[in-house]
Amino acid sequence: MERGEALSGRVQVPPAPRGWSRTFGVLNPLKAVWWLFTNVRFALVLLVVLCSLSLLGVLLPQKPLAVRGDAMLEAGWLKMQEGKFGFLTRPLDEVQLFDIFHARWFGILLALTAVSTGAYVVSRLPGAWRAVTQPRKRVPDRFFETAPNRLEVAEALDTERLEEALRRARYRVERFDEAGSTHLFADRFAWGGLGTLFTHAAVIVFLLSAVVSKADAFSSPLFLAEGSTLPIFPVRDANQMQVELRDAKAQFAADGQALDYRSEISIYRRGEELKRCTSTVNSPCTFAGYKFYQSAYFGFGAEVQVRDLQTGNTIYRETLALAGTAKAPHVVIRDGAGTVLVDQTLVLTDQLNGKDFTYRGTLVRLPSGRLVSVGLQTADDGDERLAVLEPGQGDGLVQLSLAEGESGDSGGLQVSYQKAEALPYATVPDLPVPATDAGAGTPALQLSNVVYGTDKTSAGDATPAALPGGPTVLTLTGLAAQAVKLQPGESVRVGGYEYSFLGQREFAGITVKRDRSDYLVWAGAALILAGLMATFWVPRRRFWAKITATRTVMAGQAPAHARYTRELKRLARRAGSAPETLKDEH
Amino acid sequence: MTDNLQVSEPLEPGSGLSVGSRGVFRRIVLPILVIGVIAAAISWLESRGGDDVSPTGERYGPVELPAAVRTAGLDIGTEEGQLAPDFLLGSLDGGEVRLSTLRGQPVVLNFWATWCAPCRKELPQFVAAYDRHRNEGLVVLAVNMQEGKSIARDKAREFGMKFPVPIDVDGEVGDEYRLLGLPMTYFIDRAGVVRSVFSGPLQERRTDTDVRGAIEQSDLEQRIAQIVGAGPP
Repeated sequence: MERGEALSGRVQVPPAPRGWSRTFGVLNPLKAVWWLFTNVRFALVLLVVLCSLSLLGVLLPQKPLAVRGDAMLEAGWLKMQEGKFGFLTRPLDEVQLFDIFHARWFGILLALTAVSTGAYVVSRLPGAWRAVTQPRKRVPDRFFETAPNRLEVAEALDTERLEEALRRARYRVERFDEAGSTHLFADRFAWGGLGTLFTHAAVIVFLLSAVVSKADAFSSPLFLAEGSTLPIFPVRDANQMQVELRDAKAQFAADGQALDYRSEISIYRRGEELKRCTSTVNSPCTFAGYKFYQSAYFGFGAEVQVRDLQTGNTIYRETLALAGTAKAPHVVIRDGAGTVLVDQTLVLTDQLNGKDFTYRGTLVRLPSGRLVSVGLQTADDGDERLAVLEPGQGDGLVQLSLAEGESGDSGGLQVSYQKAEALPYATVPDLPVPATDAGAGTPALQLSNVVYGTDKTSAGDATPAALPGGPTVLTLTGLAAQAVKLQPGESVRVGGYEYSFLGQREFAGITVKRDRSDYLVWAGAALILAGLMATFWVPRRRFWAKITATRTVMAGQAPAHARYTRELKRLARRAGSAPETLKDEH
Repeated sequence: MTDNLQVSEPLEPGSGLSVGSRGVFRRIVLPILVIGVIAAAISWLESRGGDDVSPTGERYGPVELPAAVRTAGLDIGTEEGQLAPDFLLGSLDGGEVRLSTLRGQPVVLNFWATWCAPCRKELPQFVAAYDRHRNEGLVVLAVNMQEGKSIARDKAREFGMKFPVPIDVDGEVGDEYRLLGLPMTYFIDRAGVVRSVFSGPLQERRTDTDVRGAIEQSDLEQRIAQIVGAGPP
């Protein structure tokens, strides 16, 4: 192709690089910079360097997000790397090779690549445009002897038939008659010549999208309880919006695997509910350019209300996440005849600290009225066993001590320690406590008989704690000497306060995102597809022919994959040439 | 691909990039930029400006402090010792609140929202403080930030907030008061002067002593005493 161009005696576009020294010879720094950025070799060097550094960024460990920006954590992380990189750790860190993709120089390289690609496209655009709209229609005779795709026919082809053949092949044809010869110029898929520009423009758009994403992208993770609201932006933002979690839903498989999380949310702005929608992990709710994704789920929440009985006012109403766990033994107690007296997971509410052990237990009243204390005794060495104590049997001495899965007799009772379970648990230091009952300890909550989901949400059926023991029970300790147990909707008065368990609630993580670079990525993808399709599916073909009385010469330009010489032969045959007259010269 | 580009038609000397790109910039890029900037400005102004107005047509938000209630030598601002900026807001009960009309009364100006957990825990203290000091002329203004009446009403009723709850729908008053976050409370004396500013939840009741005694010693009580005790202008 270049050879053909050279023969045509034309100037290349752009002009061959004039060279650094020559550019500086005319003392035009702007021109020098322009030359540099439009230089293909410079762009290639940039790309090679970028690719190499990116590869390095994959091979070398990079500072985790949680570590970045925290001097202490970074120092600790680097200390760990010294085992692998030794004395090189510090120098590698100095040049930011442990944080390549956030290094300023990497950003500069990216910017240079974008500018270089942009300058390249801009510099080639006028020439490429002219090549499409004002193609060269006449070529010198030498071009027919040296063009990469050429064909000589040892006879004068019928010009009209050749024109017709070209038109049938969807060429745009022009004819020039001269004394003793006729010239034809034909052009097909002229716009295909812009395909490469499209591809280059796509690179710029992709880089631009990265810049837009970095500068403009917004992400705000929210963690909401059912019935609660959270703002999206910092307070005072004029475009403030709030998200209300109306209902969180979760579905689980029989083995406890999560199948689906979804949330019903409402979006408010300026006090008005503007949208109500369902948000899932893969199908976010969209509003005002923001996407609301479900990003997390938590099923163990309790809505608790405290009222001051003197004023009637609510002084505390929160939905508390019981994110901790408290051990709870599942115990079966039978009488001497084998009748089951107790079969349940016991919520441990009382604590006893001994000299070399800790005991957490609860009083169990048997149908006969007999009281036993059952709990977990943890020795100083960490060994934990089920202990059964019987009040009045001598200073709280342990009657029976069992490991998980063991059974034993205690005062005529057959006690079986089935297994240790874990109940949702949380301490609530700010829960209002009646002053008269001060000293009962830090208020704590435990949820038993819990299931994933509430009456208005999914009904999980695979949670081990979902026992047929009735509705969810909230056990509050720290309010009074005795633990308080409440079912949903129940209240209890302690001191001057009324404590209510309004029900089990779920939480959902909702991530609000906006990334306007999405549109640019789509535009870039469309450009690159259009460019590649134009280049490979509709490659531009230019055809020149000179017909004299004794022979016809044809030459053409097209990308190599178009196999243009074969097309020239086909055109010649359609124009009426005999096969023996064709002289394939290439 | 690159070759394909380079094999194009000859350029006329001096043609191409400089003249062409300048023309394109002037004719296409520049007008688009100008239109874009104007559209963005209009959009911003539209989103910024609220349409909440009082029955008299006055727009809710920060307003000019009337000359009659200004004090010579005192600047208007939110720092301690400055005259509190005036505002006009619609309130939950359907009425209006203009801060400057409360001159002569001590004012606890609290900014809150229902989503703000520390605010929720702090509100009962304001309710109790209001009950204790209302006879001394104390006014509590619990300005709800950007939530609207429907959301704030339930909480106000539940917590027994008998004092005015103005709604700063656009957040402009919060902006004027330079809120750092929620809750934030300004203690304004009878002369309209900001006596103290508290960012974050005020000290909560202690559980290890008599409740009444704890409140009397609390930060809130001390600050209220400061503004209630200050004489009228």
